[in-house]
Amino acid sequence: MHHDNGIWVGTEDLMRDEAFAQSSQSEFSVENIDQTDGKWTASRRDFLKLMGFGLGAATIAASCEIPVKKAIPYVTKPDEIVPGVANYFASSFVDGGDYCAILVKTREGRPIKIEGNTLSNVTMGGTSARAQASVLSLYDTRRIQNAGKVKEGQVEKMEWAAIDREVKAKLAEGGNVRIITNTLISPTAMKALGEFRTKYPNTTVVSYDPVSASALLEANEKCFGHRAFPHYKFDEASVICSFGADFLGTWGNPVKNATLYAKGRKVAGKKGAKMSRHYQVEGYMSLTGSNADNRIQIRPSEMGAAIASLYGELSGNGGGPKLNDKAAGAIKKMAKDLQAARGKSIVVSGSNNVAEQILVNRINDLLGNLNNTVDFGAQYFGRSGDERQVGKLIEEMNGGQVSMVIVWGANPSWDLPNSAAFNTAFAKVGTRVSLNTNMDETTLLCTHAAPAHHYLESWGDALPQVGQLSLIQPTIAPLFATRQAEHSLLVWADSAALKADSEQPYYEYVKENWQNNLGAGQSKYLTKDAFWEMSLHDGVYAIPVQPITAVFDTTVSVDVNAVSKPSSSEVEVSFYETVNIGGGQYAHNPWLQEMPDPVTRTVWGNYLSIPLEWDGVNNIDGWKGLVDGDEVEVEVNGQKFTCAVVRNFGQAAGTVSIALGGGRTAGGCGVGYGVNVNPCLKQDNGLTQYYAADVVVKPTGGKDKDFACVQHHHTMGVKAMGKEEGKVINADEKTLGYKGFQGSLTDRSIIFQTNIKDLQKLENKLEAFHHEAEHLNSQTLYPDNVEYFGTGLKWGMYVDLNSCIGCGACQVACVSENNVPVVGKKEVARHHEMTWLRIDRYFYGDLENPKVVYQPMMCQHCDNAPCENVCPVNATNHSMEGLNQMAYNRCIGTRYCANNCPYKVRRFNWLDYTTADLWPSNEERVFHVEGEDKPYYADNLVRMVLNPDVTVRTRGVIEKCSFCVQRIQEGKLTAKREGRAIMDNDVRTACQTACPTGAIVFGDLNNPNSEVSQANKAAGALAYKVLEEINVRPGVQYSAKIHNANEELFS
Amino acid sequence: MLLKRICWVFALVIAASASLIAGPTKEAGKELFVANCASCHNKNMKDDLTGPALAGTEERWSAYPRKDLYAWIRNSQALIGTGHPRANELWAKWKPTLMNNFPSLTDEQIESLLLYIKEPGGAPVQKDPAATTAATEEEGLPWMYIGLAGILFLLAFALMRIVDNLANVSRAKDGLAPVNRTAYEMLTTKGAIAFLVFATILIFGYKAVDNATKMGREQGYKPDQPINFSHKIHAGINKIDCQYCHDTARRSKHSGIPGANTCMNCHSAVKKGTISGTEEITKIYASIGFDPISGKYMENYENWTDKQIEEMYKKWIGQQYMSDNSLTALDENGKSVVESQWEGIVKALKNDSNGKIQGPIEWVRIHNLPDHAYFNHAQHVAIGQVACQ
Repeated sequence: MHHDNGIWVGTEDLMRDEAFAQSSQSEFSVENIDQTDGKWTASRRDFLKLMGFGLGAATIAASCEIPVKKAIPYVTKPDEIVPGVANYFASSFVDGGDYCAILVKTREGRPIKIEGNTLSNVTMGGTSARAQASVLSLYDTRRIQNAGKVKEGQVEKMEWAAIDREVKAKLAEGGNVRIITNTLISPTAMKALGEFRTKYPNTTVVSYDPVSASALLEANEKCFGHRAFPHYKFDEASVICSFGADFLGTWGNPVKNATLYAKGRKVAGKKGAKMSRHYQVEGYMSLTGSNADNRIQIRPSEMGAAIASLYGELSGNGGGPKLNDKAAGAIKKMAKDLQAARGKSIVVSGSNNVAEQILVNRINDLLGNLNNTVDFGAQYFGRSGDERQVGKLIEEMNGGQVSMVIVWGANPSWDLPNSAAFNTAFAKVGTRVSLNTNMDETTLLCTHAAPAHHYLESWGDALPQVGQLSLIQPTIAPLFATRQAEHSLLVWADSAALKADSEQPYYEYVKENWQNNLGAGQSKYLTKDAFWEMSLHDGVYAIPVQPITAVFDTTVSVDVNAVSKPSSSEVEVSFYETVNIGGGQYAHNPWLQEMPDPVTRTVWGNYLSIPLEWDGVNNIDGWKGLVDGDEVEVEVNGQKFTCAVVRNFGQAAGTVSIALGGGRTAGGCGVGYGVNVNPCLKQDNGLTQYYAADVVVKPTGGKDKDFACVQHHHTMGVKAMGKEEGKVINADEKTLGYKGFQGSLTDRSIIFQTNIKDLQKLENKLEAFHHEAEHLNSQTLYPDNVEYFGTGLKWGMYVDLNSCIGCGACQVACVSENNVPVVGKKEVARHHEMTWLRIDRYFYGDLENPKVVYQPMMCQHCDNAPCENVCPVNATNHSMEGLNQMAYNRCIGTRYCANNCPYKVRRFNWLDYTTADLWPSNEERVFHVEGEDKPYYADNLVRMVLNPDVTVRTRGVIEKCSFCVQRIQEGKLTAKREGRAIMDNDVRTACQTACPTGAIVFGDLNNPNSEVSQANKAAGALAYKVLEEINVRPGVQYSAKIHNANEELFS
Repeated sequence: MLLKRICWVFALVIAASASLIAGPTKEAGKELFVANCASCHNKNMKDDLTGPALAGTEERWSAYPRKDLYAWIRNSQALIGTGHPRANELWAKWKPTLMNNFPSLTDEQIESLLLYIKEPGGAPVQKDPAATTAATEEEGLPWMYIGLAGILFLLAFALMRIVDNLANVSRAKDGLAPVNRTAYEMLTTKGAIAFLVFATILIFGYKAVDNATKMGREQGYKPDQPINFSHKIHAGINKIDCQYCHDTARRSKHSGIPGANTCMNCHSAVKKGTISGTEEITKIYASIGFDPISGKYMENYENWTDKQIEEMYKKWIGQQYMSDNSLTALDENGKSVVESQWEGIVKALKNDSNGKIQGPIEWVRIHNLPDHAYFNHAQHVAIGQVACQ
């Protein structure tokens, strides 16, 4: 099937769906506007009554006394706090196995934003969406606020001393104690646990992860003697092959992986340009797979066969289960590529099968990658749990051998595949203490709650990678009567080392451990105090480590027949972890819930991805004729659940997939969204398998009326089949009445892509295109306004589509920086999401197995902005520095600008989302956490996360990306105060600092030496402006997407 | 149309300039007095300060030409040099105190000053003739409008008649009987009523909004503050640099409210105010836990009971009362002073939520920068080098 420009958004676009083309003409969805549902059923009389009341009320309110507000200064003002100036503290984001070295931005003592810490060798200044959103979980209204006994879902308050007495009395009885955690990477916490174990020798720590990597760890231990992730040098690899490992999103150390991966993907220098080639072998389209040059589609049960067939190709020892012919042929060709890149390739696998992981290790060994691109000298401990221990624990609990269980951060009652069995056994334990922060599913089943601090209130440390020490320091005094988890354990262990009387006992404990144990051998600083102070300042301290030469243990059996067997069932399902809500542990964070899944672009819940079927001629349909939002009943492994479907390109035929993490039942705002699929997971040999065969999917005929997928919201350049014209036309333009105006724009210049071998061709094409666009744009009666922007500062951005992996960190960073409200699922379904920065996903290439390009799309700050000249009240206007500005208090909400914006980046406040208004008239419709009376933002606790430098917008105004104008202003001021010209480092936008791959560059376009000018220059003709031909003169440049596909793979 | 607009602009310019050359006023005099004279001459005009009391100046100079008085105010030493008798008389009395020179004052400004000196209080100011004429002109305007409205009304009425007649002519052509509407009928047509309603709403709406904006409810908002702090004493009379207390003004967008520790930099020594005595300054001590008798900060002050605090500060207030009045024991009045000052401390400092006296001084906020306004003190103070005082 032929496609103009080879780019499409989704099926509707591809099939020129008339209804869709029409709906995309209107800025907002009309489908979901339900007149009776929205409380407005009032008659004209009621309207008059209300108006009368409103006027009366306003009069009374106006004549009332002015509310008294207090201005409270410090008694003794700390030197380091200047009201209005942010302080940054180095710390570490640690949640189970997730780690990110961060800087915490605090204003007047409140943490409000997370930035990456560039001093870290582990995350290299990058961040993830999870780290960015973690600041919001500090202000979670559902946190447990004091210690006590758990009764009927509530915590019956107890003093800490009283709970300590009770727990200690139980411990003194001397029964077996089990501590359940997720991955624990804190060396000082380990020491505390050690003390606990010394005091109570019958203690065992059981660590597992909601999404497990046990097989990989076990295989590495067997093959190399290291139970850890090796360091994968994605930047040095020229061929990367991943068997279902989502290494850019959720597997290993994704932030570092992404940073290094992007280095190998940047096309520097056009002559003889080189980039790595990335193969992904998978059934569903993962974030990593969507970035791959070639995807080899297999059914999830064929993973073992696929790995075995690669091993067969490389080693000559064939055998093992049979793979489908198409994939087998492709793997043969891939093997050649890998062999050609000996020592410069990487093979990874996300499989949770030890035999498969051993094969992968052997493959890396055969390819000479071991100790080259796969380095055990910098091991990563991010995920080190072992779910086999949980099975054992359940047996022990059932046998009545355990008298106390302490749950620390884990949620086994919900996220285990066998959580039902766990819960039954758990009830048999006499004392069940939870250190969790929220009233989650496990805490509900506990007898005692001893809530721990949020990590932003805690002292602590982490050792995510060999030698890379990292500190956690509190950035706010504890909000509630909670206590550091380690502190609790040490108190219960009667630790002599814990100075319980000091102001911050665990601080002393960590400091002592760092000075005398962890940093004992350091020679960088002269004194212990200097070592501590500097480590605290930097947040990280790197201990030099010896390089390790790993040797594959030849006694380990490499058995191609031990891998998982392909199933012959009709339908198979894969379960995967998403970058936003993970295995469900982040489900209670509204920012992450409202961040669209990068691939399916759905929000608030998990949906069943179904494949698309192409009749080979001109029709493409959802599997079983289903369309997005249709409800199906799914039966897997004897478990049934009902959910909505989303059609997804790249989903292999005969497979479906669904994300983990939906359907939480307790503990916060994630309750009620999505379905819990954990019970559908099966364990094989004690290890959880994230796929299943013999799936039955039955359409119920129902529909999820709030199905929220942002992919088809705010589209631009959607094509339709014109009835009269009988050919493809631009749906957006049809309303204009012009046909063929400026080339009809069916070939809108939104995405340009090419294979690297055709780079020159694309360059020539783009050069001609730029030339033509310039010619078109110069045909104007209006004077050119270049002279206005030629001097002084001119802000601009450069987005490298080749580096963008679509991880969404920038989107959450933008939400956090700019007080972008959470609107909730229902509002998103009505196209009312407020995100200033969206990441558009476009497909290109083969219809059945397409490639993906992600395009971060924000206000383009056009110098000839169509929004500006339609505003009747001059609420949006242009600054001398090239910024398209919004004056919110001028805006009267005509929405002409949103209508006229070709990029569809303007957002309208349909409701008072942040409850900034005086009158709570629309409180009911804005986002509420399930079961709470007040709207989400009406709680003062939540409002603490708001950035005081950014206006909170009210109902009825338009808002959009401001290029972080508050940061620009601050940067300019800093430069002025220091009496120098502004530099790149003075102004960095929130999206730019969040990006782990450096895809976004921002700066002064008038300065030829600025990073952004240099980036534009380096990209040459490959840099283009979206819709360059319509003469809006945007301030954002994109660079073409270059891929390095092996085009002979399937031929 | 353009001509009309030009006429309007012209008229406005004339009106504006008329107000500018409106002659000497008491208000202008007051401003000039505060800016130039108040540092040496007493504001009540009756008592001497650094310079003599000014009441009756004009009478005392009435024997000499007005320009001599002008010359004296502009440059007193020059006038003394010329041997002017009144000038030398004054010099003999006030020597060696020199009066500042004000060469830039215009005659009119001096007249304004003299006007203010004559009647510094709230006595009614005589309306100057220019203002009176302006008022009459203003009063004349509505009559013009009413007249205009009347003419337009008559015109409309006449037009309606003409329309009716024309309609009747056409009706006659069609062989229909003419319809003659009475004036009442004409005025009660749908169109007329709609217009009336519209006009009424417009006028009332306009008036309502106009008056509402003029109400200015928040002007002169002066709530009771916990401490009767005077910027005039600190920044005005004692000339303490604004940024000494508001130290964040040069670093931050906020000027900041100083913490009690900043107050203590001076008030650990200045323990009594010239006007308020112990009444206000003791509140700072009670906030931060400073014992003015021993001159020491109290250890563990956060955990003190109200009783302990009461004891310490009552002792201090009493002691000061006795020394001021040279007493050896508190008299009845002294007891009530101690009691009332202590109550003042409690009222000012007792926190509503934790019930503690110790802790920050909770000022009532009187500023409110709207959300949409961006103002940065640092930009003005540190970069623009704008002086605040």
